[in-house]
Amino acid sequence: MIGTGRVARLVGTLAVGVLFLAAFPEAVHACPVCFDSSDENRVAFLATTAFLSLLPLGMVASAGLWIRRRAKEQDDGYVDPNRPEP
Amino acid sequence: MSSSATYPMDVRPAPRRSEPIIPSGVLGMLIFIFTEVMFFSGLISAHAIVKSQSAGQMWPPYGQPRLPVEETALNSLALLVSGIVLVLAWFAYKKQASNARIPLLLATLLGTVFVAFQGVEWAALLAEGLTMQSSAYGAFFYLIVGTHAVHAIGALGGLGWAFFKLDRGELTSTALATVSAFWYFVVLVWPVLYWTVYL
Repeated sequence: MIGTGRVARLVGTLAVGVLFLAAFPEAVHACPVCFDSSDENRVAFLATTAFLSLLPLGMVASAGLWIRRRAKEQDDGYVDPNRPEP
Repeated sequence: MSSSATYPMDVRPAPRRSEPIIPSGVLGMLIFIFTEVMFFSGLISAHAIVKSQSAGQMWPPYGQPRLPVEETALNSLALLVSGIVLVLAWFAYKKQASNARIPLLLATLLGTVFVAFQGVEWAALLAEGLTMQSSAYGAFFYLIVGTHAVHAIGALGGLGWAFFKLDRGELTSTALATVSAFWYFVVLVWPVLYWTVYL
């Protein structure tokens, strides 16, 4: 059974810990734009996030379409030398 | 019904031996270029963020030298022309390999002029006080333009190697396409960097 004194010490320790954390609120940023709320900065973050997200998808899609087209061209130009006459 | 049923057993076709859709060297270079595109995109994005944080303030920061916009525009022209000449070298090579010697050499020389002028520009800017430590403006300038210069020097090495091989009659079309792809990347990414850093 936990004594009243130990509970009081535990609560006291927790209270000191919470107060310690509360003393440094600037050490925690909830989002990368919280340190600068200007419109220009927010737009820059949004634009670069979209740019960096879509660019690799676009490159992979472009490469896939290009390879598909080249494969189709190669298939269309292929004549089987052993194909018997109909 | 399986496809083999359409042929009599004695005339069954040999396994198809088609050429690769993309030569291995070119495919490898394209994958490398994809990673480089993302690398430069990261640098450009970081530059955009830092520049946006200086909204309402001076950019370039007070006391920092201005970049030589007009001179670099002329130098950029040399780089773009080298890319066009390299395209001509490719078509000349397809007709007859030895025809590509002069355009390939010209493209390499124009690229060398670009890198050399960039070096002269750097020396002048350093003398005027723009350094990596002087400001975020200077740090981004040297980081982005310097990274491009490293790529340009590497690509010039590739073009020089291609010219050496061509001179000995050993240059394959795959090798030329591979080094050309890297140079095209260096040429095409530059206008984006110029617009980002200089303008």
